[in-house]
Amino acid sequence: MKILLMGHPNVGKSVFFNRLTGSNVIESNYPGTTVDYTKGYMVLENRDIEVIDVPGTFSLEPKDKAEEVAVKMLEEEKDAIVVCVIDASKIERGLYLTLEIIEKGYPVIIALNMWDVAKDKNIEIDVKNLEKILEVPVIPTVAISGEGIKEVVSRIKEAKPVKIKNIIKNVGG
Amino acid sequence: MNKYTIGKIYFGVLGIVTLAFGVAELVVTAGGDSFSWSILEIPNGIFRGGWGGVIILSAGSFYLSGIKNLSEIHQFSKIVMGSILIWIVAGCDIFAMITESIPGEEGWFNSLEGFLETYAPPYPPAIILLPFSLIVIYYIYKRKVA
Amino acid sequence: MLSIDERWDLIDKISKKTVKFGKYKHTLKDAVGELTVKPLTGIPVAVAVLYGFWSVFSSFAGFCTDGFLVKIFDGYWLPWLQNIFPGGLHNWLYNLMVDAGHIENGVLVPSDNCFEAFGVLTSGLFVPFGVVLPAVFIFYLMMTLLEDIGYLPRLAVLIDTVLHKIGLHGYAIVPTILGFGCNVPAVTATRILETKKQRFMMMTLLGIFIPCGAQLGIMEEVIPDTMGFVILYLLFGYFVFGFILNKIIPGKSPEILIDIPPYQRPTIHNVRKKVWIRVSGFLKVAVPFVILGCLIVGVMYITGFMDWLANALSPLLTNWFGVPKETVGPLVAAFMRKDLAVAQLSAIEMTKYQMITSVVLVSIYFPCLATFIMILKEGGKELLGSLAALVASVFIFGGLIHLIWILLGVA
Repeated sequence: MKILLMGHPNVGKSVFFNRLTGSNVIESNYPGTTVDYTKGYMVLENRDIEVIDVPGTFSLEPKDKAEEVAVKMLEEEKDAIVVCVIDASKIERGLYLTLEIIEKGYPVIIALNMWDVAKDKNIEIDVKNLEKILEVPVIPTVAISGEGIKEVVSRIKEAKPVKIKNIIKNVGG
Repeated sequence: MNKYTIGKIYFGVLGIVTLAFGVAELVVTAGGDSFSWSILEIPNGIFRGGWGGVIILSAGSFYLSGIKNLSEIHQFSKIVMGSILIWIVAGCDIFAMITESIPGEEGWFNSLEGFLETYAPPYPPAIILLPFSLIVIYYIYKRKVA
Repeated sequence: MLSIDERWDLIDKISKKTVKFGKYKHTLKDAVGELTVKPLTGIPVAVAVLYGFWSVFSSFAGFCTDGFLVKIFDGYWLPWLQNIFPGGLHNWLYNLMVDAGHIENGVLVPSDNCFEAFGVLTSGLFVPFGVVLPAVFIFYLMMTLLEDIGYLPRLAVLIDTVLHKIGLHGYAIVPTILGFGCNVPAVTATRILETKKQRFMMMTLLGIFIPCGAQLGIMEEVIPDTMGFVILYLLFGYFVFGFILNKIIPGKSPEILIDIPPYQRPTIHNVRKKVWIRVSGFLKVAVPFVILGCLIVGVMYITGFMDWLANALSPLLTNWFGVPKETVGPLVAAFMRKDLAVAQLSAIEMTKYQMITSVVLVSIYFPCLATFIMILKEGGKELLGSLAALVASVFIFGGLIHLIWILLGVA
């Protein structure tokens, strides 16, 4: 089993990756630090699992070289679980990429990162309802301080492929 | 907004003094000689005098443009920025003093007198402005409480 | 698969059911942050930040190098090696490893500092560890802080308008700033640029015009008074050549929106880790190439090849660029490392203006070997031909500087 970390540039994927694997990826507070993918390992239920930090991408239609790498990674790892790292304060843009990945049939788990920033901006997200609609685990996180990372790890096994039809049905007309 | 009247006067005066210091630094740099009076020493040289002078000048402008309607957050932020600019220049001046004071001319380390002498006056404008610029912290605190 | 519109429609529905956008209250942090992006207020702030960067950089580098490391290398290390190393000034191995010596009044005399000795064990260690390491360390520390606080993307927004004129959008500031540290990671960072044209332009400009931290450190040490001119010339070249390249290279330079992250308090853990990764990455690249450079230049001197080359290139160097023919040694060294080349230049007798020209020359005429390899790896072979074309244009630039000196009446 492999885990891919995907999301927009500068949402904290690398911080996430370092938290999960304890390795040394350079994290920066500007977009585009990870232009190549990085692999690491984490232990889940006594098994070594490969974690791949994919360069940030806005959608699955690549616009630059770093995004091309991201899309290629996704296509090569057919049986991977995708952890979608979303900037909670810009949730709609993050959902776009997430839906694209869900449509491709990958099992997904969503980390609503930068939860603290969203709170600062007075954005309220009904996580339970979001989980019900998308049928995948959704966890608020603050990767910088490590909040919520444990929950993400413990719920990775709940990730499953979802039919886009179900989501449309769940959200209602 | 009467409680900000004192602040207005204070930062108005500080702004004018800061602006004057900035102009003085540029004039002194253009003249080519350094200038010393009482505890004030205006450095010459393109970097500290010229470049630094431009920053002090901007700090003064930030103060003066921020005093009108001081209680409004965007105006107040200009006062904060004025102080930040002074902190940057003063911080660099102090750091430069520290790095100069420790190593000796011949031996490994400076003598005690030599070490202390580095910190004696006269001081460049930014360091003289530093204590006065710190008042902004009181106002930030006051805003938070309000 | 949904169409793009259907997908956005779905997201709209989802977000209506789950997200509530409260009224966004402007905090002081936001207001101060805005000041750093608006041009009128942002430019003075940028000027102050760069002042702080440079001031701390030179204070710290001077503290380490002049305060302590020069004393160790010139006062203990060099005399000790001159004492115990077998051979002497007339032994080739001694010349190569310890001290090449120099001619004074027709007599070969030993060097008294590690800049001039030019042995593998003296200059070869002094340049990377004595001068460059403190400079690179403080550079990366400051840059990491600015990066983690979140100032760099704001600087990018600010500079965007200027860079746009030369066909690079604000993102190009990221590789450029990285390039001031070391060009090797900067070349990798050009991947964030969108089109082939932009990447090619950026790599070329980086490799040629952006002086790296190592070079800045050594210039701060040996030519503190004139390095401002050198940097001005290089930045001037960066913009002029950027402008020309943008005009002559086919392809598009599309717009991109930059996401500005919030200002944050940097974590000590992350800063420490990042600085360590970058500094150790630098050492891995720098040390082998400095030593290799010392060896190659040393061998060329000993075999007499350097003198031959100096005489052969003399008309070009003295007439066209207006620099002494002895600069051929540093020019060769510059293939390996710019810092080594500048250190070597400092030992040559010449006027202030010749010094500026020659330092600019060693900076621009070729990217250092490590960068060159990286460019090849990233950009492919098409870069080779273009680089050759650029070396040619560098001749024009070098000649132009000479012309400026002539017009100013100082050459």
